Amino acid sequence: MTDSSKIVRDYDLFLGCVGPNRFPQIEAATMLVFEKLGINLHDMNGASCCPAPGVFRSFDIPTWLALAARNISISEQDQRDVAVICNGCFGTLLEANNIMKTEPGKRDATNKTLAKVNREFKGTAKVRHIIDILYNDIGVPAIADMVTNPLRGIKVGVHYGCHLLKPTGIRPWGKDERPKFFDELVEATGADSVEYKDKYMCCGAGGGVRTAVKDISLDFTREKLQNMKDAGVDCLVDCCPFCHLQFDLGQVEIKQIFNVEFNIPVIYYTQLLGLAWGLNPYDLGLLPTADKPAGTPPYVPTQPFMNKVLANMSESPVTEVETA
Amino acid sequence: MSEEIQKASEPTAVNITGLEEPKVGVYLCHCGVNIAGVISMDELEAYTKTIPGVVKVTQYKFMCSDTGQNLIKDDIKKGEVNRVIVAACSPRMHEPTFRKCLRSVGMNQFLFEQANIREHNTWVHMRQPEKALEVAKDIVRIAVAKARNLEPLDVMTVKVKPVALVIGAGVAGINVAKDLANQNFQVHLVEKTPTIGGHMAQLDKTFPTMDCSACIITPEMSNIGQHPKINTINYAEVTDISGYVGNFHVTINKKPHYVDQSLCNSCGGCVDVCPVITENEFDEGMKDRKAIYIPFPQAIPNKYTIDMDHCIQCGLCKDVCEPHAINFDDKPKKIELDVGTIVVATGFDPYDPTDYKPYGFGRFENVITGLQMERELSSFGPTTGKPVRPSDNKAPHSIAFIQCVGSRNCQVGMHPYCSRVCCMYAMKQARQYKEKHPESDVTIFYMDIRAFGKGYEEFYEIAAREYGINFIRGRASEIYENPENKNIVIRAEDTLLKRPVELEFEMVVLSVGLEPRKDMQTISRMVGVAQTGDGFLMEAHPKLRPVDTLSDGVFIAGAVQGPKDIPDAVAQAKGAASAAASLMARGEVEIEPYFSKINEAMCSKCLSCIDLCPYGAISFDKYEDVVRINEVLCKGCGTCAAACPCGAISQNHFREKQIFAMLDTAIPVTANGKI
Amino acid sequence: MADEAEHEAGSMAPLEEWTPYILGIFCNWCSYAGADGAGTSRMQRPASLRIVRVMCSGRVEPEMIFRALKNGADGVIVSTCHAGDCHYVVGNYKTFRKAPIISKFLEQMGVNPKRFRLTNVSASEGAELTEIVTEFVEELREIGPSPFKNMNSPAEE
Repeated sequence: MTDSSKIVRDYDLFLGCVGPNRFPQIEAATMLVFEKLGINLHDMNGASCCPAPGVFRSFDIPTWLALAARNISISEQDQRDVAVICNGCFGTLLEANNIMKTEPGKRDATNKTLAKVNREFKGTAKVRHIIDILYNDIGVPAIADMVTNPLRGIKVGVHYGCHLLKPTGIRPWGKDERPKFFDELVEATGADSVEYKDKYMCCGAGGGVRTAVKDISLDFTREKLQNMKDAGVDCLVDCCPFCHLQFDLGQVEIKQIFNVEFNIPVIYYTQLLGLAWGLNPYDLGLLPTADKPAGTPPYVPTQPFMNKVLANMSESPVTEVETA
Repeated sequence: MSEEIQKASEPTAVNITGLEEPKVGVYLCHCGVNIAGVISMDELEAYTKTIPGVVKVTQYKFMCSDTGQNLIKDDIKKGEVNRVIVAACSPRMHEPTFRKCLRSVGMNQFLFEQANIREHNTWVHMRQPEKALEVAKDIVRIAVAKARNLEPLDVMTVKVKPVALVIGAGVAGINVAKDLANQNFQVHLVEKTPTIGGHMAQLDKTFPTMDCSACIITPEMSNIGQHPKINTINYAEVTDISGYVGNFHVTINKKPHYVDQSLCNSCGGCVDVCPVITENEFDEGMKDRKAIYIPFPQAIPNKYTIDMDHCIQCGLCKDVCEPHAINFDDKPKKIELDVGTIVVATGFDPYDPTDYKPYGFGRFENVITGLQMERELSSFGPTTGKPVRPSDNKAPHSIAFIQCVGSRNCQVGMHPYCSRVCCMYAMKQARQYKEKHPESDVTIFYMDIRAFGKGYEEFYEIAAREYGINFIRGRASEIYENPENKNIVIRAEDTLLKRPVELEFEMVVLSVGLEPRKDMQTISRMVGVAQTGDGFLMEAHPKLRPVDTLSDGVFIAGAVQGPKDIPDAVAQAKGAASAAASLMARGEVEIEPYFSKINEAMCSKCLSCIDLCPYGAISFDKYEDVVRINEVLCKGCGTCAAACPCGAISQNHFREKQIFAMLDTAIPVTANGKI
Repeated sequence: MADEAEHEAGSMAPLEEWTPYILGIFCNWCSYAGADGAGTSRMQRPASLRIVRVMCSGRVEPEMIFRALKNGADGVIVSTCHAGDCHYVVGNYKTFRKAPIISKFLEQMGVNPKRFRLTNVSASEGAELTEIVTEFVEELREIGPSPFKNMNSPAEE
């Protein structure tokens, strides 16, 4: 944990695509949580798609590098580091940043391209996933201290995802093949992180798989959900909007293709954390308002999960939550 | 103190005092196509003729051959040249060859300089012939500058003590000691653990003969114990080595046994009463032992030792010990020896797969290492030769072996090399288990089967065909445990059938590789032998000098040089013994006279050189008011020569005059400043 | 500033084709063997390095480096064994101590201190040596040729 006086208090928040376009509650919950921590997440003007580490990087590396460097250069101009909420954006921006900083040949070539849009990559910014900021800067004890409504008895299936962890070389998690940091963050809220088969398996979405062969990608997802169900989870927690999409909308699609239902609510980490910190579940996107349009997330209802959370809380009386 | 060694084969000796006008002969070697195939030798010859001081330039295909050497000899005998340069390979290759060549016609061997235009030029500039030619010209010109300033030097001879130190008493160390002692040399054999035998003593059977390992090594061990010329110092570590070839001074720390070895009669009464139970290293943690112990029943010497890290000094053993051998006041002893040669045979460590999480070692009970399986198969092991699986102590109906654990893997903590023995030992263990349980299902997950030695391929064929062992070609990607029955599920790809497999086994054996010992860096620094990139000790030349090292008088044998099986370890041991013996049999060795000298007239007696010498070779004689360098102690590093503020110290063969001459001619400056 | 002084002295060779002259002073045990190893493994590098052999890098005097530079070498590299591995125990430590002083002196004399490099190459590190030389060549190409090339003829004793 970093000394509180040394914690960086301002970041440029890089939203990516899936977050703002499909799951605005992820951004909302993240903003609320960081506000409570006293860290400002600023908008990035002109940020584009990261671009995606699976598809884009496979097609043309110079293009991928140029677009990523362009995004980072916006942050450099703002003189802030980049905070990302998505594993995919993390994979792209962290690795592109590293390549640009360590390989002068690629850096010079990319800067030639960026010059055409009056931009320059200088190498002054760092790229950090909000999980990194929460785990390595704030620290689990400090997070646990701020919990007012511990999520007792809630069993969580934690999904790390892929780009968060690999390749390990430049990531801030050490070299453990079976890391535990995300589990620790989840358990700081009072919930239990449940071991399930093939916990570190991919959700199936990335690398162009969801785009190209959706039913195969959903087969991955189905296997993971089945393993989680066998372990008896109440919900799934992730830290990536793309995994979130794959699990949430994916369960609807799985019902259509495989005729299997899991009803496992899909929750982003800051939503879970905000709940444990006593923030308003409507603001966190964990409860739908009465006028929620059809076809908008959450696709798997979160109502049963919220009921259980309330039922388990020792301080509050057991009541049903009314839809407002 | 030293004699000039000149073996003049001709009656007239060529007498060169170093005061004559230098007449440099340059011999340009083609080295086949290694040099001539890259640069134009004719152009090089034409250029060399223009270098001041050069009187003769000759080209030849292979200067190191007899014909090539004769060209040099003839020119010397005719008095045409009095300095010789051969422009060819690295001096580390053939400097001794050409020096001998000069000596054979009576010319001082230090009037020779080799210009390295192969390793340092044509081999690394293969596709740049013109630039390589320029570099060759520079290298030759630099060599000429030195050669013109060379002086005749007397070679030094030192006596070699006919005593050898062997560090490590595994199968390699034992064989070195045996061969040297049988040639009547005194051998001191130092072993870190309480018994000799090393890892070989832990093995049950050895491939491909299926000899019982203990049966073949224990006779050797007891020979060692009884041989009059071998002084075995066990439970001891070498802590310091100083000196030089032929005259090493070795300091050994003998750890206290706390049991008087001469009084102990191995009755074992102490073991019964000892209350402390701790892990048995010999059985790879699969069985316990007491704090007072003998590593294994056939240990030599067969005496007890107390492991003071775990002993609580309750004294119960002392009460029952009839010969009164227990002594809690035992202290470590320092032993100092003077030896002529040293052989390092400290062996290896097995790779510890605990950190490699996907294979579950340490988390899943029924995953064990190859060495643990070896102990289970051993009749004096934790299961008396009936392998069982740890979770329920029952013989497993199915076993899987996973190959290449810790080897052929670039991940952190693992090794990219092949450990050489794992394919064979896995098949051996598989065969042994099948013999005990013919109905069981034994599968080996491999990448390649390396059955390279004599009888090894046949061993593999029999394992596959007659024993019915399954071979699946695919690296296991992940292991997990079935929580109900503690079986292990392996996920791998069968690459020959091109499909993924997920198979359940009752027990899994990880065929762990061999890695350098954890204290390898300490050993390396102490004996003065570098480590190669893989962490093992470096041989002088991987092909031609596999048991020599670059430190004269120090040899290596066995797994300390690299992973190998028992036949190769023994072969290297015999090779190292032979190399050490030839030094000791000759009784003396020549040392290059690169020592430094002080010019008293220029010395201001500031004494700043004295502390710089790591060998204490410089001393100040108060009474005669002079600073002196001891030629025998001086190893010729030249640090004092560089540091002397008065320039009073000069190092033989690397004088300031010689080096500056090289630096002054090094860079060619043409008329318009271009190179 | 040092760069300007050097560039004023002028170089007539077009910089892309020009291969810098690097003089190496290598210790016999680790570095020379490492260079031999690079040769045996045929690791190709720019044709730039010429090696002078000493038994130990401790033998290297600062004047040797200045002499080489003054005579027109574009770069000088001194290579030692790794810390702790010196064949003569501590000779390389002496060289480590001398190196910063040499760099400082060069800077004060108006010579780009980047022209002098101290490196450690062990006997099994032929690949590292190749990389170091290639990198040094690129750096020297940026710095430019030695300012001493046109100034004087080589010193003669």
